[in-house]
Amino acid sequence: MMAPDKSPELVIQVEDLAVDYGRQRVLDGVSFKVRRGEILVILGGSGSGKTTLLRALVGLKQPAAGRILIHGEDAAALTPDELRRLRTRIGMCFQGAALFNSMTVKDNVALPLREHTDLEESTIDIMTTIKLELVGLGGCGDALPSQLSGGMRKRAGVARAMAMDPEILFYDEPSAGLDPIVAAGIDELIRDMQRTFQLTSVVVTHEMESVKLIADRVCVLHEGKVVGLGTLEEINRSEHPYIQQFLARRPDSEGERASAFARSLMGSS
Amino acid sequence: MTRLVGAVGRRSLDAFAAWLRVSVLIVDTLAWIVVRPFRGHRLRVRAALEAVVEFGVRSLPIVGMITFLIGVILALQASYTLSKWGANRYIAALVAVTALRELAPLMTAVLITGRCGSAITAEIGTMKVGEELDALEVMGLDPIRFLVAPKLLGMVVAVPCVTLVAMLLMIAGGWAAGSMIAGVDSTVYLHETANALVTKDLTTGLTKSVFFALVICWVGVYRGFEVEGGAEGVGHKTTSSVVTSIFLVIIMDLVFTVLFYLY
Repeated sequence: MMAPDKSPELVIQVEDLAVDYGRQRVLDGVSFKVRRGEILVILGGSGSGKTTLLRALVGLKQPAAGRILIHGEDAAALTPDELRRLRTRIGMCFQGAALFNSMTVKDNVALPLREHTDLEESTIDIMTTIKLELVGLGGCGDALPSQLSGGMRKRAGVARAMAMDPEILFYDEPSAGLDPIVAAGIDELIRDMQRTFQLTSVVVTHEMESVKLIADRVCVLHEGKVVGLGTLEEINRSEHPYIQQFLARRPDSEGERASAFARSLMGSS
Repeated sequence: MTRLVGAVGRRSLDAFAAWLRVSVLIVDTLAWIVVRPFRGHRLRVRAALEAVVEFGVRSLPIVGMITFLIGVILALQASYTLSKWGANRYIAALVAVTALRELAPLMTAVLITGRCGSAITAEIGTMKVGEELDALEVMGLDPIRFLVAPKLLGMVVAVPCVTLVAMLLMIAGGWAAGSMIAGVDSTVYLHETANALVTKDLTTGLTKSVFFALVICWVGVYRGFEVEGGAEGVGHKTTSSVVTSIFLVIIMDLVFTVLFYLY
């Protein structure tokens, strides 16, 4: 293992990461780096371990081996208080937005500010309004999450993740379950956020359309391993059979599909 | 044979792991309430007050009505036997002592389990399914501090208060039935009630109710964190929360009754 690179250019460093679910190893030997201000897309099919990788990156899942350095700090080695402090510097947008249903949209966005800062309520009010304007939800502050459409909920999720002005933003399947027009809007939002705030972004997705629009670099995951890492052109040129198949949208042959299905049934228990 | 031993072993390990999780939950909640507020982690006082209103004030109508009716029933059933000896005036003592030492705390706990214990499980379970608990954690907000500590505080304040009201209303129910139906003179009834009660009856009942509050809250929270899958998982664990909670409340009631009886 190399000495940790402290250069400011590298915001996230993943070294030889392995993650287990029960006895099953879902990630194995994953290594990559994320540079300041870029959008890295983690691309992979269902069950490739991409969501698990994201959960490990934000510290919701403990690594079985290897390490993750965020801003040069190893989350697994921090005390609970240090970890809480580190977490105020990152934001995460969940697949289903994960807004608190009992609170209005505005209170959702204001929550991290109320809990982590001693700001006046009037200041918090202004800051929340700005964040909501930023994601195009200016007039929706008083609505409850259940009154919003899927796309609006995702936008509210982005506003909440942005509340503490994080330096890194993680997105879990941002365009899943949205129609192509709304999904394109979310992709644009991800781009805007990155351009405006020099925000380092890590996006997990399986949608090639999104990848074309937002990716600076792509990391392709297959069966828990990195099979491709580079710009979209480099990935397009890759000769790895899985990447070829993924890009060509070619189904598995009948036998492979059946055995993979059987594996997923047996393995997930 | 190997299978049997394996199954027994697995069960024991599971049970041990469950106890470990319960202990961690209990210690963690107490730490967020008792220790960490002095180290710069604010207690969510407002959320705790909201919990008192939700668990206490909003439970008053149903708990009040049911305990009043139980007072009535108790008085009439007592009269059935006591009237044969011409001892109807002792209905007062029977109702009052039973209410304070036993039935008011127990009925309050059972009703609040049904009303609020289930709601706690459903709320936390739904939050888990909707990734809201993960969201809290990623924001650097500990779910135990944010959700559980205020609920526990609210419960510990609300349940004894509601129990106190339940005691009064149960006696009132007994008084109403005793004086209007069983023919005991109303002032005699009140006099007998005052004579029968000692301070220990009250402290016994209220001590129990504090522990019932802890059981209801922790069981509700624990079952909520256990939820897996979708809406079905929430429903399943909510039922199990109510059953476990009532069972543990009765076991705890038994333990306390034996202790108070002996000492």
